[in-house]
Amino acid sequence: MKTAGVFAASALLLIATTAAARSPNDAQIAAIVVTANQVDIDAGKLAESRGTKVDVKSFGRRMVADHSGVNKAAVDLVTKLKVTPESNATSDSLKAGGEENLAHLKGLTGAAFDKAYIDHEVAYHEQVLAALDKTLIPSAKNPELKALLVKVRPAFVDHLEHARKIQASLGG
Amino acid sequence: MRAGASGFKVLFPAALACAALSGPMRVQVDAAPKPAVHEVAIEGLSFHPETLVVAAGDTILWVNKDLFPHTVTADAGAFDSHEIAAGRSWRYTAARKGTYPYRCTLHPTMHGELRVK
Repeated sequence: MKTAGVFAASALLLIATTAAARSPNDAQIAAIVVTANQVDIDAGKLAESRGTKVDVKSFGRRMVADHSGVNKAAVDLVTKLKVTPESNATSDSLKAGGEENLAHLKGLTGAAFDKAYIDHEVAYHEQVLAALDKTLIPSAKNPELKALLVKVRPAFVDHLEHARKIQASLGG
Repeated sequence: MRAGASGFKVLFPAALACAALSGPMRVQVDAAPKPAVHEVAIEGLSFHPETLVVAAGDTILWVNKDLFPHTVTADAGAFDSHEIAAGRSWRYTAARKGTYPYRCTLHPTMHGELRVK
């Protein structure tokens, strides 16, 4: 469980550290946003079906609904702007981290699954928020892309608080 | 306090009588205002305005401008929109006076308050 949390955190940390060295362009930001959302949608779907506690299952359902809504808006926007998302070290790392997390979660059941999923969600949302604040929002050039990132930021704050509450109810 | 209260009771019918005597034009001005419609935008996981004061009989329209569903659910159960999809809205006519704190059941950081005077 610890391994997955640490792995996720280190993978996501790349968003902040990579961009600290060099700011991503809008096409790269688009790829990072779409991948970050998709990773959480996939984990949410697994939690809906495999989670045990009602809170965990409904949190998974919420992640699927909210991140799907954000991704639809992101895809609509880049289509309108004629920007082709450009995969990069950060989006690749996010994707690999997401796949690793899913593989880890699929080996767990019951309370162990619930705890590992929620621990990962806390780490993931902390890191995405840091990336939004330190890198993605400041680097976005197109005003509509920047506005979309600003608009969805409170969702990540809410998800983080929600996940922390569930984490506390599961016993840390 | 007692004297003041009883004084008010005596004066109030007198005021009504004056209004009635002043003719039909005056009576129209004093008629109860038409119920209003108020809009609360749901955007960026906040209710705008967060606190809304309305008169009994007014209608409130909550418009979901976010990219995913929300609910408008009174803490004490007076009203519940259930899920309002992205881009959709929900209306509620506030019949009873009172203070109604409400929340979105899907997002624990979202809170608002409706005051019906």
